[in-house]
Amino acid sequence: MTDLSYEQASVAVRDDLVAAHGRAWKRLAAPGTWLSGAERVAIMAETRNAADCGLCRRRKDALSPYTVDGAHDRLSALEDGLIEVVHRVRTDSARLKPAWFEQVTGGAVTVERYVETVGVLAQTVAIDTFARGLGLAPWPLPVAEDGAPTRRRPQGLGEGEAWVPLLAPEDATGAEADLYPAGRPAAYIRRALSLVPAELRGFFDISDTQYLPAAAIPDFATEHRAISRAQIELVAGRVSSLNGCVY
Amino acid sequence: MLLRASGRHDGADYDLAAIVGDGDGDGGVPEGRLLSRFAEAILGTDEAALATARRELNATLGPEALVDTAAVAALFNAIDRIADATGIPLEDDKMADSADFRATLGIDDFPSMAHR
Repeated sequence: MTDLSYEQASVAVRDDLVAAHGRAWKRLAAPGTWLSGAERVAIMAETRNAADCGLCRRRKDALSPYTVDGAHDRLSALEDGLIEVVHRVRTDSARLKPAWFEQVTGGAVTVERYVETVGVLAQTVAIDTFARGLGLAPWPLPVAEDGAPTRRRPQGLGEGEAWVPLLAPEDATGAEADLYPAGRPAAYIRRALSLVPAELRGFFDISDTQYLPAAAIPDFATEHRAISRAQIELVAGRVSSLNGCVY
Repeated sequence: MLLRASGRHDGADYDLAAIVGDGDGDGGVPEGRLLSRFAEAILGTDEAALATARRELNATLGPEALVDTAAVAALFNAIDRIADATGIPLEDDKMADSADFRATLGIDDFPSMAHR
């Protein structure tokens, strides 16, 4: 286990952020639901490596990324399908298409492994980008833990609303009864990783501290952070616009 | 969309054009241009621009604001990838509520809009 610390930062980082990032680093190194600890840490490494991949750069510069063939510059022994998923989602997610998703999940990469990969990648991006914002180098990758994935698929998943199966709030029962915040509708972004509940919980553990806890999102009357709610949403909107994301 | 909702609460008419294109202007949000510049720099590759934006944000709004701005920008850099990679739709109410500015600001032309 690699301890994560922000003592090198030139500004004080909130304790809840330090704690959430520390929990994430530990979770990401552990065996997941469909991926081993070693695969999860390899995905973190490829998430970082994708920025320097020549094929990803050529695709990003192309009018259509689907016209550019080649091999990714890879660090790890991850299966080819997972390398493609990590590199494309990291470098050009706005131009992903349903046909690409069908292709990558039609082979060795099951939809379950795909969703967990996206979750691991997203948590890595959230923490690495934060460190970059403060002028810090990315944290050393955690040391993978041994053990087998749980291979636990929730009951009640629905098909057809998104590319991946989603668990609707009314179907989140039993072990998933706590998956969504009570008292308000669960937006699709809350459901997006629900095929792998552990990844959903992990990502929103980070989201609750980096953005806002679910209960605070509809509360425009209270200022929860050192920047105002309007300033928060301006930053969020500007980032999404630059990423070409409409959600 | 939540910037518009925030404006409704504040009684302010924030200019959503500040989040698209070149991101010129502050959108009516206090220190909006400074915050946008930091968001642009954190996603970019120009280390000097990021260092400048970080220094200005720290000097103008303070270290706690710098931390919270970096946290929000970083989180949405991740959320965007989850939304795009899972092909989730935009909720009906958000689709309806954003129709006017999506069309006006060119958001309907984003490639990821084609699948929603």
